[in-house]
Amino acid sequence: MIEVMKTLLAAAQLPASEAESTAYTAGYETQRAAVDALYEVPAARYVDPALRFRAAARIEDWAE
Amino acid sequence: MTDLPQTLTDAAKALREGTVTSVALTQAAIDNADRLDATIGTYLARFDDYALERASTADAELARGEDRGPLHGIPFGVKDIIAMAEGPTTAQSLILDRSWGAGKDAPTVARVKAAGAVITGKATTMEFACGMPDATKPFPIPRNPWNPDTWPGGSSSGTGSGVAAGMFLAGLGTDTAGSIRIPAAFCGVSGLMPTFGRVPKSGCVPLGYSLDHIGPLARSARDCASVLEVLAGFHASDPDCVDAPFSVPEFDGDLSGVRVGVVRENHFPEGSDPALAGTFDAAVAVLAERGATVVEVTLPYWQEMITADMITMGCEALAYHRTDLNSRWDDYFVATRAMVATGAMVSGADYVQAQRVRRVAQDAIGRLFETVDVIATPTASVGAPTFDALAGPNGETDIGALFSMIHTPYWDSVGNPVLVVPMGFTVDGLPLSLQLAGPAFGEAAILRAGDAYQQSTDWHLRVPEPAVQAAA
Repeated sequence: MIEVMKTLLAAAQLPASEAESTAYTAGYETQRAAVDALYEVPAARYVDPALRFRAAARIEDWAE
Repeated sequence: MTDLPQTLTDAAKALREGTVTSVALTQAAIDNADRLDATIGTYLARFDDYALERASTADAELARGEDRGPLHGIPFGVKDIIAMAEGPTTAQSLILDRSWGAGKDAPTVARVKAAGAVITGKATTMEFACGMPDATKPFPIPRNPWNPDTWPGGSSSGTGSGVAAGMFLAGLGTDTAGSIRIPAAFCGVSGLMPTFGRVPKSGCVPLGYSLDHIGPLARSARDCASVLEVLAGFHASDPDCVDAPFSVPEFDGDLSGVRVGVVRENHFPEGSDPALAGTFDAAVAVLAERGATVVEVTLPYWQEMITADMITMGCEALAYHRTDLNSRWDDYFVATRAMVATGAMVSGADYVQAQRVRRVAQDAIGRLFETVDVIATPTASVGAPTFDALAGPNGETDIGALFSMIHTPYWDSVGNPVLVVPMGFTVDGLPLSLQLAGPAFGEAAILRAGDAYQQSTDWHLRVPEPAVQAAA
């Protein structure tokens, strides 16, 4: 599993140390199971995500 | 100091009655900072001269009848991930470009300034509003004024400790997984996470774009209401901000007709403080004595929303930080880079699925709020942990174990408003906290419930011993 973790970190170009990769791996299986459980929510099968794209959106300066 | 008002609300009243001045309030706040800040690490930057000048101006304005509202002349802290013109924003990080936001006020800061608040300084945070303290970095370690060997909570650590220690009467925090409510709980003060989108979050260094909230920490629910009234309202610079201004409701202490849903499931895990159950039951009993009808409920999609918060925050934070992480990994705090790296461990589809389940949970919680007006839970199952207890088996912070005892991230995922108020103490004498959640844009209901509770109790007025000693 640590090779999976190293691959994921490398793909994102995150230079984690060996110790950090090992520590992340320790929690990864539990985390992955929790993420996979989101696909087992029946009510979400045909639901739009809480994301929206607005064609007319502009970038407004927050300090003006 | 002990003769000065303890709450923003009382201070505002005293200012108008002429029994205290803003300069006196501000000088007392500065004196407390002089005595305590080196120990508890509340501030990253202090603006003593600026604050005293603002206080003097406030006194003059109030004397000639120019009243800007309850924040006028009130010492006020700002978490240092929110831009303020008087100093650079650091996010308590070596990474953030000091030119970001330089010379500018975030909309929330501009609003509290316009309301006459006396901003005394920029308060400490966990780096970029996530992670944990890192003694290897050149920043103060925030400590809890109730016991400096314990963590004050985060990430709005300095805002929580500053209110508790009398360095300001209210301040701004941010909340993405609990960062207003955790320090409020551990420091024994009140804190309000407003409904997502009610308060503009632009001008604040982002952590999770779809999760971030700016809100107040203060002594009481009434104090939080006064700050929210100033903060709320549309701002075009935040694409999530909605036109939903807030007016302080009537605080009559009467909860007749209010339905309170009490949640126990998942909130009393093994390892909970022995005082938690009795303290929580007593708090619920106070709400009932005030007229509320109490029913037991469960929160839908509990674990899924905790997972959604983790995925969403990780992915959104990684998008913001990836370039800097690639080149300056070691300059980040250890716990920060661990949290942000979780965004690399999920796929784009996982992120979208999390947003689909968030929508399902929003709908479910909306239906639950058709049957109750307020939901009550403990904020955390334990009091502030010692720094030693936070260390994992390899000496690194064990955030997973900590968050099994903290019950805040669910509400960031669904976006509802949540107020936390002190409700008693652990067996070791550290604060415990009651969490009151409401329907979207239902801040008035939870603030009225919190105020009613505080009319019957004085937990929110308890002052940590170190602060008392400093004030003597």
